Amino acid sequence: MKRIFPMNRVEGDLKITLETDKGVVSEAWSSGTMYRGFENIMIGRGSLDGLVITPRICGICSTSHLYAAVKALDMICQTDVPDNAVRVRNICLMTEMIQNDARQAALLFMPDFCNSRYADSQLYEEAFRRYAQLKGQMAIETIRESKQLLEIIAILGGQWPHSSFMVPGGVVCVPGATDISNCRYLLNTFRRWYEKRFLGCGIERWAEVRSMADLNIWLEESESHRNSEIGFFIRFSKEAGLDKIGRGCGHFISFGALDMPEHTEIKSLNGGKTLLPAGFDLTPFHQRNITEDISHSWFGGHLEPKHPFEGVTKPYATGSEDKRYSWAKAPRYEGLPAETGPLADMIIAGHPLLLNLAEISGGVSVFVRQLARMIRPALLIPFADIWLKEISASKENFFKDYEMPESGDGFGLTQAPRGAIGHWVKIRDSQIEKYQIITPTAWNASPRDSNGVRGPWEESLIGVEIRDDDNPIEAQHIIRSFDPCMVCTVHAINPSPGPSPERRGESSVYSPFPFREGGRGVR
Amino acid sequence: MPKKLYWLQCGGCGGDTWSLFNAESPDVAQLFDMLNIELLWHPGLSHKSDDELQALNVRLLSGEEKLDILCVEGAIIRGPGGTGMYDAISDKNGSGKPKKDLAASLAKKAEHVIAVGTCACFGGIGAGSDIEAVGLQFSRWDKGGLLGSEFKASGGMPVINLPGCPCHCDVITGMLSLLSADMPIKLIEKYQTPVEWYNIMVHQGCTRNEYHEYRIEEKRFGEKGCMFFYLGCHGPLVKGPCNKLLWNRRSSKTRVGVPCFGCTLPDFPQPYPFFETRNIEGIPIKLPSGVNRPHYMAYKGMAAAAAPERLKERKTGI
Repeated sequence: MKRIFPMNRVEGDLKITLETDKGVVSEAWSSGTMYRGFENIMIGRGSLDGLVITPRICGICSTSHLYAAVKALDMICQTDVPDNAVRVRNICLMTEMIQNDARQAALLFMPDFCNSRYADSQLYEEAFRRYAQLKGQMAIETIRESKQLLEIIAILGGQWPHSSFMVPGGVVCVPGATDISNCRYLLNTFRRWYEKRFLGCGIERWAEVRSMADLNIWLEESESHRNSEIGFFIRFSKEAGLDKIGRGCGHFISFGALDMPEHTEIKSLNGGKTLLPAGFDLTPFHQRNITEDISHSWFGGHLEPKHPFEGVTKPYATGSEDKRYSWAKAPRYEGLPAETGPLADMIIAGHPLLLNLAEISGGVSVFVRQLARMIRPALLIPFADIWLKEISASKENFFKDYEMPESGDGFGLTQAPRGAIGHWVKIRDSQIEKYQIITPTAWNASPRDSNGVRGPWEESLIGVEIRDDDNPIEAQHIIRSFDPCMVCTVHAINPSPGPSPERRGESSVYSPFPFREGGRGVR
Repeated sequence: MPKKLYWLQCGGCGGDTWSLFNAESPDVAQLFDMLNIELLWHPGLSHKSDDELQALNVRLLSGEEKLDILCVEGAIIRGPGGTGMYDAISDKNGSGKPKKDLAASLAKKAEHVIAVGTCACFGGIGAGSDIEAVGLQFSRWDKGGLLGSEFKASGGMPVINLPGCPCHCDVITGMLSLLSADMPIKLIEKYQTPVEWYNIMVHQGCTRNEYHEYRIEEKRFGEKGCMFFYLGCHGPLVKGPCNKLLWNRRSSKTRVGVPCFGCTLPDFPQPYPFFETRNIEGIPIKLPSGVNRPHYMAYKGMAAAAAPERLKERKTGI
C-alpha cells in the first residue's frame, strides 16, 4: 500500500510517500512541495546583493548563506581577508551551528520520543518531562540558552537572523575588547550548560570517548552521564532500535568549513585550508565534480549535463501527471548521491568515536547520525573560544578594501548547520547574471536521478519495518535525523547530468567506501 | 477563556519564527504559558500529528472551534498562473491544495489576522517574481493582496501588518500581549502597521547619530561614521524599532556598520543595488520624509562645516 506522510516541525513543506509490503517499506519518495524561485530573483541585481538576499533564503541558517555568498565575492574580487575577519566569520558560523545543534536535538528530534508509540516504555514519562511542547524542561532550557548564545552574532554582526555583516575583504564590524569579552562570556556560559545538560561531564572527559567500548564505560560511569541528554538519547535509542534503521545512501559529502586564519594556534583537522575538511567519502573533493539531475523534479528547460555555473532554473509544474515529484533537484557528486550534515563532516574529518560506531555496526544509523549532531558542539566550542582569544590579543584590521571588477565568476562553499552549502555566482557588467545555490537538504532530500537512483532519505527508508501505518514513527526518526530544512531546498537549483556511464554500475547499489586502509566499508 | 492562536507558514524562510525565539520577557515558552494564549498550531513547535491537524482545520473552518488569532508568516504564493501550486499543502490525502486557499479560509474565520514579517505583509522577496507572491492585504505598495482591500477580520480590524525581515521578536510578543488582554490597537492607516512600533525611524537610537548630525559620511566599510550618504543606509528613511529595541538584546545592524536595507518597506528588497546610495551631486535622492531639499542641503553644508575634529578623526566610540 502507498501512503502519504507529511511531516511537521520542519522548516518548510515536506511530503514523504511510502509504499509498504507487509509493513516493510519497499519504495519511498521525498517531495519538497514549495518553490520560492530565489535564483531567478537574483538575476539582474547589483553585484553585492547576494549578501542581503541569500541569507533570507533560510531563517535558521542565514549566516551560512552569508558565508557562502561572501566567499564567492572574495573570489571574484581576488581579495585577501585579514585573519581577524576570518575569525569573526568563523565564530559567527560556529555559533549558528551550535545553537542549531541544540535546537535540532531538544526541539525537533527528541520530541518524537513523546510519540504514542512509546507509551508503554519506562522512558516515556521521562521523555515528556524533558521535551513536552513548550513545557518540557529541556525544551524550555534550550529555548533560553540557544537564544543567549546567538547574542554573539548580534554583538559581531548586528542581529540574528538575517544580517549582512560579511563583505568582500572581511567584515564591517570593529569589535572592541568588551565586545569580545562579552562574546567569550556568552560562549562559556553556553558551554557550562551544554556540559551539564547534554554531556553530564566536561568536554575534556567527553573527548576521551573514542570508541563504542569507551561509550559504554562512559554511560555506566555516573548518574550524571546517564541522565544527560546524550545518556538519555543512548538509553532511548537502544530500546527503540534507532541503531538499526536509517543507514543512508553509502556516501558522504562535505564542502569543508571554517577557513583557517593564516596565523592561529589551531591546527585544522586534516592540515587543510578549512578547520572541517572537505571531502567525498575519503577522496579529495572538487566542486567541478558536482552535477544535478532534474529528471524527477518539477523543472524544465534542458536535461543535458550542467555544472552549477552553467545551469538555468525553469519551474515546470506538472503535478502528479508524470514521474516528476519534487521541487528539490537531485545533486550528484561524480554521478552519486551523498549524505551531508554533521555526521558526514565528522566522518570525513576522521572522528574516532563515529568511525568506530560505524565500523562495528557495519554502517551508520539514526543513532550514529543524531549522536554526531548532539556532540558537535563539544568539538566546536573550544575552537571558537581560541579564536575569540586571538582576536582580543591582536591589533589587526577586520576589513581590507577591495575592488569589485565589472565581471567575474566565483563560488563560495561552506557547511551550514545541516551540511554542505554552495553559491555559484556570475557577474557581468556589474550585475548578477547567474546565481545558483545548492543547499544541504538538496543533497539529503534529493529525489531520484535519471538512472532511478534514490536520494539519501529515500534510500534510508527502504527496508524499514513500519509497525503502524497510521503512525510511521520509524520513518519520522529517519528523516528527522537528517534535520530536514525544506525552505532552503525548495527554491530550486539547476539542470545537470546523470552519472557518467562507468559509474552507473556502482550507483545502483550501495557503494561501501573504506574509511581507513584495510578497514571495513561504511554504508 | 484563553485566546486561541494558529500560526500558518506560507512562502517564507521561517525567519520570523526564529526571530520570535529571540524573545526575552516573555520568552516563547512564557508567552504561551502566562499570557492566556493557547497555541492551537505552529508547524515548528506543535507535536500534533497530521490527522490531528486536519481535524483541527475542519473544526476551525466549520466554526465548531473558535479562532481568535491567525498569524501568517511568509508570502502568499500565487504562481504559477494564479494557481498557487508552487506552495501546495502536503496533507495525507495528497490533495495538493494550494496553501493560499487555506490562508484565505482561515482568515475569514479569525477574530484577528496578523501578517508577521514583510513577506506576509507585502509579498516581500518573491513579489514580482515567477512565484507571484503577495501579502495578505497588500501587493507591495498597493492595497489588495490575497484578501482584498475591503477585508476585515471578524473582530473588525483589517490585517494587522508587522513588517520587518525578520519581524522583531518584541513586536510579535507585544502584539500578542495586547490581543490576549483585549487592549486597543492603533494602526497607522496607510500600511496597517501598529503605531506602537512603526512610528519611529530606524536610525533613532543608532550610535552613529552624532556622525550623521555633522555629515561625517563613510565611503568604505569598517569605519565609524554615518552610512546614509554613500553606503545605502535607509536608517533615516524607514520606520522600524531596530535601534530602540535592539536585536538579540545587544545591537543592531547599523550600530555594527551594516547599512539598514529598509526591510520594513513594502517594496523590500528594493529594485536597485544595496550598499550604495543613489544621489544627486552627493546628496541622497531620497531624503528623510517631509524634508525640504534646499533647506536640507544648506543644513548639511553648515553641519559639515561645524563638525568637530574628534568626529572628523573618528575618535569617538560608537
